[in-house]
Amino acid sequence: MTETAVLTLKDVKKSYGHFELGPVDLDLEPGYVVAVVGPNGGGKSTLMGMLMNLIQPNSGELRLFGGTYPDDEVAIKRRVGYVPERPVGYDGMSANSLSEFFSRFYPKWDHRLYEDLLKRAGIDQGKRYDKLSRGAQRRLSFALALASGPDLLLLDEPTSGVDPLGCREMLEDISRFMEGGDKTVVFATHVMEEVRRSADYVLFLADGQFLGLYGKDKLLEEWRILWVDREPEGDVPGLVEVEGGSPARIVCDSLQETGQALFAQDIRIVRSGVLDLEEVLSHLMRQKQGREHGVSGRRSRV
Amino acid sequence: MSSERAQPKRPRIPVHLSMGDPEPMYRQIESQLRDFILSGQLEPGTRLPSMRALAHDLSCSVITTRRAYEDLESEGFIRTRQGIGTVVAEISEEKMAAYRREAVDGAMGEAVRAGRRAGLTEEDLRDILEETLQREVASVHQRGTP
Repeated sequence: MTETAVLTLKDVKKSYGHFELGPVDLDLEPGYVVAVVGPNGGGKSTLMGMLMNLIQPNSGELRLFGGTYPDDEVAIKRRVGYVPERPVGYDGMSANSLSEFFSRFYPKWDHRLYEDLLKRAGIDQGKRYDKLSRGAQRRLSFALALASGPDLLLLDEPTSGVDPLGCREMLEDISRFMEGGDKTVVFATHVMEEVRRSADYVLFLADGQFLGLYGKDKLLEEWRILWVDREPEGDVPGLVEVEGGSPARIVCDSLQETGQALFAQDIRIVRSGVLDLEEVLSHLMRQKQGREHGVSGRRSRV
Repeated sequence: MSSERAQPKRPRIPVHLSMGDPEPMYRQIESQLRDFILSGQLEPGTRLPSMRALAHDLSCSVITTRRAYEDLESEGFIRTRQGIGTVVAEISEEKMAAYRREAVDGAMGEAVRAGRRAGLTEEDLRDILEETLQREVASVHQRGTP
């Protein structure tokens, strides 16, 4: 673990009945927006819950800002703004009473920012939380998290139920929060468009399995669909999938290496296309399953 | 939207990323910014967006914009000062000329390679260059302005 890490997870596991999450290994420096993505029930909320000590891992080591739960809980939480998927205990409270409550706990509470965020979201500060629309509830919860002056924002489906313009504003707010370069955002979402637009890294979780943390731009740059004039032979690096035919269709996860190998075999790339993040995720899931069932390598044939 | 009014003005630059481009995104940013600076469209002292703001505008990651800014800074095109942000650097006339020359060298090299692929001889290439020069000079004369 490095001294500066915001989050460090070592071999973290959690199981309930048949569901098992992990092992998750992660070492995250400040300054980045990390999107946690994967199918529903994949473990996103469990991971977020563990980062907030609402759920305790069965094993492994979990550190935030170098501290651990429960010893450093208060110190950690003063630096974390959290938007839970379903906040508990907010129902009877208004934006005004919630801010009173929050400002007492967070020394860096920024009331001006809070009021600005609520105003932009058009939220009546005297209205009970449970009388607000789902979208307004999310934005109120987001405003509370941002205004608490955190170093780390943990957002669990922050935009669900928020209209497209509102989502856009929230992504802008996140970008502004990140401006100084020393803050961190971890957000769970199933909206890939948000991931594409705002994440620096993508953490894939599926069926409780941690499929890795990837630089988003690198994923988009290196994963390609290549149509080639004939099928490559032998060991070509980066091949994920080959569909024979003329032209043959290849999916690769490292364009540079694969391209060089194809060039060496005098294979011409007829056309190349990009993959979206959903496609990358489904390939990663298949690779993982393939490895588990003892299928050799990461190359699968269709 | 009322929110537009509340936000402080921040610099924007007309960089565009193309996903299908085989060039990595940081290189696309670098070459477009370099072109704007060399052509004088971005003058010395012009404030550039922060790495995070540019990443937001381009929907790319801050890893990409940082790499582009670091490369441009080491090449002397931009400079970053604590508290001020990133601005276009003053570039000497010789350096400007050298970069412009480099672009022409590149284009010439590309043309020669295209000629070789087409099976042309050195003689043919010289003829083509001569003809092209004459044609271009003539068309400049016709338009009246260089």
